[in-house]
Amino acid sequence: MSRASIVGAGMTTFGSHGAVALHELFAQAALPALDDAGVSQADVDALYLGNTSAAVSENDTHLGPKAAAQIGLTGVPTQRFEDACATSAMATKHAVHAIEAGIHDVVLVGGVERCTPQSGLSTPEMTKVFASAASRQYEQPVGLTFPGVFALMTKRHMHEYGTTKEHLADVAVKNHYHGSLNPRAQHGEEITRETVFEGPLIADPFHLYDCCPFSDGASAIVLVSDEYADSFDQPVDINGIGHASGGVPLAEQASVTMTQAARDAAGQAYDQADLTAEDVDFCEVHDCFTGAEILATEAVGLFEDGDGGPAASEGRTRLGGEVPVNPSGGLKAKGHPIGATGTAQLVELTDQLRGEAGDRQVDSPSVGLAHNLGGEAATTVVTLMEARA
Amino acid sequence: MSSELPDGWTDDTLTHAKWAEAVRVGTLLGQRCRSCDHVVATPKSVCVDCTGRELSTIELPTTGTVYSETTIEVTPVGQDDRYQVAIVDLGETRVLGQISGDVEIDDEVSLSGHVEYEGMPGPTFSPVE
Ligand SMILES: [Zn+2]
Repeated sequence: MSRASIVGAGMTTFGSHGAVALHELFAQAALPALDDAGVSQADVDALYLGNTSAAVSENDTHLGPKAAAQIGLTGVPTQRFEDACATSAMATKHAVHAIEAGIHDVVLVGGVERCTPQSGLSTPEMTKVFASAASRQYEQPVGLTFPGVFALMTKRHMHEYGTTKEHLADVAVKNHYHGSLNPRAQHGEEITRETVFEGPLIADPFHLYDCCPFSDGASAIVLVSDEYADSFDQPVDINGIGHASGGVPLAEQASVTMTQAARDAAGQAYDQADLTAEDVDFCEVHDCFTGAEILATEAVGLFEDGDGGPAASEGRTRLGGEVPVNPSGGLKAKGHPIGATGTAQLVELTDQLRGEAGDRQVDSPSVGLAHNLGGEAATTVVTLMEARA
Repeated sequence: MSSELPDGWTDDTLTHAKWAEAVRVGTLLGQRCRSCDHVVATPKSVCVDCTGRELSTIELPTTGTVYSETTIEVTPVGQDDRYQVAIVDLGETRVLGQISGDVEIDDEVSLSGHVEYEGMPGPTFSPVE
């Protein structure tokens, strides 16, 4: 029995959407999701919406009712979630719980964000907005940024395990290749190791192409109860969704390479779904930086600690490899509109498990995993999905 | 009574304000749990290891070794254009600081001052020659 099932999925392209308003952008993902499910607004019991930064970056708050009004859902209960980059996975988790508890049967879940310079903020301004997820008192004054957070983690990983800059670059090369097969990806161009090495440094060891871009975008899914799912075409089941938190500030985490919250969340999800890492056919992980993908593939148990880098360089995580990682292109190439990323990962899992992913289709997958991380790995949500037999 | 401190707290309980005051005069304050000896470099309301409420404010060592480091080249508005930051291992705990100079993992550093940002200080470390 599933915890809840996805019966509709939609997302915008990721990239620049110019002067569009947040609620308008969300509608461009939400309406296709409703249409995909074949449900009308009258069938939707609630809207669970993720947005991370608009309170700070756009002076735009109380987004639930605004988004609901835009798409004809006025009257339904709606709430907005913020947990840094894990925002819309968090919305999904709460929707799953509400469905499982019998409170709602049909929930529209999604996320929306505007981060490109066209949304109004310069790179130094948006860098400051992103840094708000770091400790206000003990990290922001020192000047820590999010590329900096993951650079500290990755440098330590390189020191402890011998991970190399070539391993990092190979993650970017792979995800750009995957992105070239995804018409919704922000970066559709293939790159080489040299493209990475020749790019400007952002926070060593990360060059520009080790980092995800600033993106605008929205994503949405229609979630229904296990029982209700049978009346839909091609439901895809959420059989596990785990969630854990880790310590802040980063310096006091017992290990900065373990991302313990991801290990805890993955353990919960595997237990709920009665699956192990060996059952996972493909995954979407939170590759905000190349090093983050390596840490994630180790944390969810695909590889032993220290083997994540070599695995990427050996092609084991490429489409056609033993466990494709980020067939969508990931945050790296598909893009990372912060609050939309969690549900966008689930849109990709849905497309793949339905066999509708086109040129980037994983070969007959039955189990997909999504890993959505927030802050300095201080929040992680891991979701396991399976096609309904 | 809402005006009373929780069990185990005293007026000496370390806060960010007191920690910041100390950084500005060249001292790093932390907490040691009186039950389990766990040490942290940034003030908490309980021991993060055993949830004990009785925490002693302690002076942390001002020298340590670099646990990890990076040089930040794209910085937030209001910060300098480029600087190195490091997680410094002080033995029983670690703390984040900005680096004056250039260091690598395992290098020895010592507290040498502080930076200010939006009314809050952050420690600065320099390499030990
Ligand atoms: Zn203790």
